[in-house]
Amino acid sequence: MTARKTIPFSRVRRVAVIAGHAFTQLVRMKVFYFLGFFAVIGIASNFFNLPQQSGPEALGDNGMDLLRLIKSWSLGPMTLFSVVMGIVSTALLLPKDVEDRTLYTILAKPVPRLDYLAGKLLGVLLLLFVSLALMDLLMVIMLQMRLSIVLEVQASLGQSRGWDAAAIESLKQDTLAQGPTWALQGAVAAVFIRSAIMAAIALLISTFSSSTLFTTVVSFLIYFIGHFQADARDFYFEGGEAGTSAASRYVAMSVSLVFPDFQLFNVIDAVIQGKTMELIQFVKLTLAGIYYVAVYTIASWFVFSDKEF
Amino acid sequence: MKAATGKGPVASQAPQPDFSASSLAIGRRRADTAGVPAVEIRHLVKDFKTSLKRQPLRAVDDVSITIEAGEVYGLIGPNGSGKSTTMKALLGLVVPTSGTCSIFGKDSLKVDSREDVGFLPENPYFYKHLTGAETLEFYGKLCGLRGAVLKDRVSELLALVDLEGARDRRIAGYSKGMLQRIGLAQALVQEPRLVILDEPTAGVDPLGSRQIRDLILKLRDRGITVFLCSHLLEQVQEVCDQVGIIFKGKIVKSGRLQDLIAIEDQTEIILKDAPLELVAEIEALVKRSGSAEWLRSGKPRTTLERLFLRETSGDES
Amino acid sequence: MKAYRKHVILALGLLAAGGLRMSWEAPLTREFRSDGLLAKPVETATREKIGQTSAAVALGGLRTLVATFLNLKAFSHFEAREWSELAETYDLIVDLAPNTPYYWTTGGWHLAYNSASDYLTRTDLPALRRREAWRDSIRRGRAFFERGTRLNPDEPSIQAELGALLSNSNKLLDFPAAAAAYKAAADTGKAFPYVRRGECLALARIPGRELEALDLARRLYADPHNRLPTLCCVRFALESHADPSKDPLKLAISIFGDPRSAHDQLGEYWVRVQERYPLDGVASALKILESILLVPADESVFKRALQPKETPDDWFRGR
Repeated sequence: MTARKTIPFSRVRRVAVIAGHAFTQLVRMKVFYFLGFFAVIGIASNFFNLPQQSGPEALGDNGMDLLRLIKSWSLGPMTLFSVVMGIVSTALLLPKDVEDRTLYTILAKPVPRLDYLAGKLLGVLLLLFVSLALMDLLMVIMLQMRLSIVLEVQASLGQSRGWDAAAIESLKQDTLAQGPTWALQGAVAAVFIRSAIMAAIALLISTFSSSTLFTTVVSFLIYFIGHFQADARDFYFEGGEAGTSAASRYVAMSVSLVFPDFQLFNVIDAVIQGKTMELIQFVKLTLAGIYYVAVYTIASWFVFSDKEF
Repeated sequence: MKAATGKGPVASQAPQPDFSASSLAIGRRRADTAGVPAVEIRHLVKDFKTSLKRQPLRAVDDVSITIEAGEVYGLIGPNGSGKSTTMKALLGLVVPTSGTCSIFGKDSLKVDSREDVGFLPENPYFYKHLTGAETLEFYGKLCGLRGAVLKDRVSELLALVDLEGARDRRIAGYSKGMLQRIGLAQALVQEPRLVILDEPTAGVDPLGSRQIRDLILKLRDRGITVFLCSHLLEQVQEVCDQVGIIFKGKIVKSGRLQDLIAIEDQTEIILKDAPLELVAEIEALVKRSGSAEWLRSGKPRTTLERLFLRETSGDES
Repeated sequence: MKAYRKHVILALGLLAAGGLRMSWEAPLTREFRSDGLLAKPVETATREKIGQTSAAVALGGLRTLVATFLNLKAFSHFEAREWSELAETYDLIVDLAPNTPYYWTTGGWHLAYNSASDYLTRTDLPALRRREAWRDSIRRGRAFFERGTRLNPDEPSIQAELGALLSNSNKLLDFPAAAAAYKAAADTGKAFPYVRRGECLALARIPGRELEALDLARRLYADPHNRLPTLCCVRFALESHADPSKDPLKLAISIFGDPRSAHDQLGEYWVRVQERYPLDGVASALKILESILLVPADESVFKRALQPKETPDDWFRGR
């Protein structure tokens, strides 16, 4: 009988140790800094009022379009950064450990393989979360600054054109809906969830393959195909034109079953337009994300559990 | 005058680190597991698939090894003979095609068998951005240690492997010998009863090698079982109690070291400051006995290693 | 073969998980689509038009970003007067971002106004071809606006632009459609006030619907903000049309407030022949007002040159 006490939540602690470690390892990498730098530049470029064209771009009337522009120019880089970082970081974690043989030292300790995988994935998710949170803050600050300018100009223009209070108020409400709302935070969260799913997929692929490059390329392919998944599903259920073979419909069905559906996350586009997402809908989206991540993590564990080194 | 009996040479004069025996009291646990072998490998077979068409490669072919608690066992063999594969099977990194491995009675394929074992892989790399102390803390936390207990253990281990001076230096700045020693320290972080070392002195200079060898002996004194493999045969000879020779996946010879290497029918006598007449007298005595044969006399040679150490450490060997 | 078996189990497992997922994923997608949170999937033809890689990116949720870049590209087509490329680009843009009114209004503007005007002045084409190109541009602009209104029924700005195009006498007039467009825009409740007035003005020019127009005009007149010159004049004409026996002077004063304003506004209204506003009772009112205000004969409104009453077709003759 050893003299060691069993510590409560020892598994959780272990996973946390691995996650924290993966986080510090990734944060030091140059690829992270470059990607992050460019994403931040992309968002900060909104600070300079990029004129779309020299046409009717009076600030007052088209202020809402300007806000939309800021949002799309921020969420775009955020999406790009999070997907790329999510895939690439996860893809390199396992091969790096195998190559450096540090994997042996870890697995030679009483560390269950699931804890190891979960820890690595959580480290990547933590990285994504922190980065996106910082970018979100930047976006909200800029949006708020623009919003107050736009509201001022609208108010003064409205006054000078003799609008009544109701018209001014309704325009103000519409403009506020384009600003930093909770729905916008929901959109950023959706960006995070999508990249989390991609990280889980990259984890699964990396348990098969020992090459970072292979994992990265295949993960990006899955990302692309995932956007057609909904179309494949529709194709299966509604059938194609007459003459579509059963075989192609079954292929479509398999595609839609195996690949994740990223079209769900196009709600981000809607939020950029200024639509609101209800809380319940956001919760459903989050649960969908959790389902995906769990399925892919369990699949990774299944492959990894008796992988030989 | 001293009769050489084939035991290890006199302990080196390298500085002796100070440690408290109470904290690494492995010996106490020894009593609890009396009778259960530290390592039991039974009829281990491991095939690797090379390509789809050809026959699978049999890396390990019906290997059986038993190591009692408290022993130092050396597995020696040429490159590609299956040493590493056997170790990995013992650690659960590789699934046997057939046969079983167990550590203190627990099946290697289960995670809890690794509570009692520490592993130092061949040419280890550790995370370069961590310092020595942080590396040990990381591994300690993985084993469930934390807080003050962890900190004390880390300090202890660093003292044991003589790396206190480098505790806050990044691993990236460690020499090969330091890497091996920090590796040994992490293997010991959770007070394992069995330590597995894969080529512990490969690529290390003689001074560092000597330090590692001394550490292994210290571990043995504490009752920790050591399973090492190496192809530096001299060093294996110095530390091991039991030895197995593996070739093309099969154990071709195994047993107690002394039994294996003793040249049964010869005796060695080493004298200091002996005048020539005395030697002549002894020779005559032997010739008179009739049953023994005088083979040779002359000046024994020191080893190059001892000469090196003597010159580089500045001590008298 | 253990590895083979493992792969099969994994594949089956993923398929099973996917099947389970289907039970809530399809309904969730439908719910999001109906709530307007998800745009309809991009039509297949578009996917062929965009290159393979950018299609994936566009469908990858970066639609709005790609639309932004295409908008910049479209502007350079505008500057270079490459109208068909411009039209194609805008078709792509609205496929990617169908719910951004700005793209619809700008695209339609380019087609119906800029493109059309450009064809007016091109000397390298014979007149008949220019006319056809001009008409074609306007028709395409109209179709573009109409498509936009179909995809964004709640968005007033596109409808209002459509109404403005259809009631523009320099373009192809279609007052009934214009009135309907203005009405749809105003009915969303989010339109600017001029839209409702536009509806009234369009209705007024549809033969047979003067009573409707009058009704609306009266309602609009009730709000002092709406008492702009054109509306007041139109109301005047509609009142006269509805009841010719009304006294022009009394009517004028009740609408405009005083003879001078009445005279000035009706005078301006009188010369705007090209816009085809109803003119019932305007002439007799002006005569009375001029005599009251003692306007000298040579400064009379009736001596002023009227707007040329020509249709756009006339522009293309003899040029």
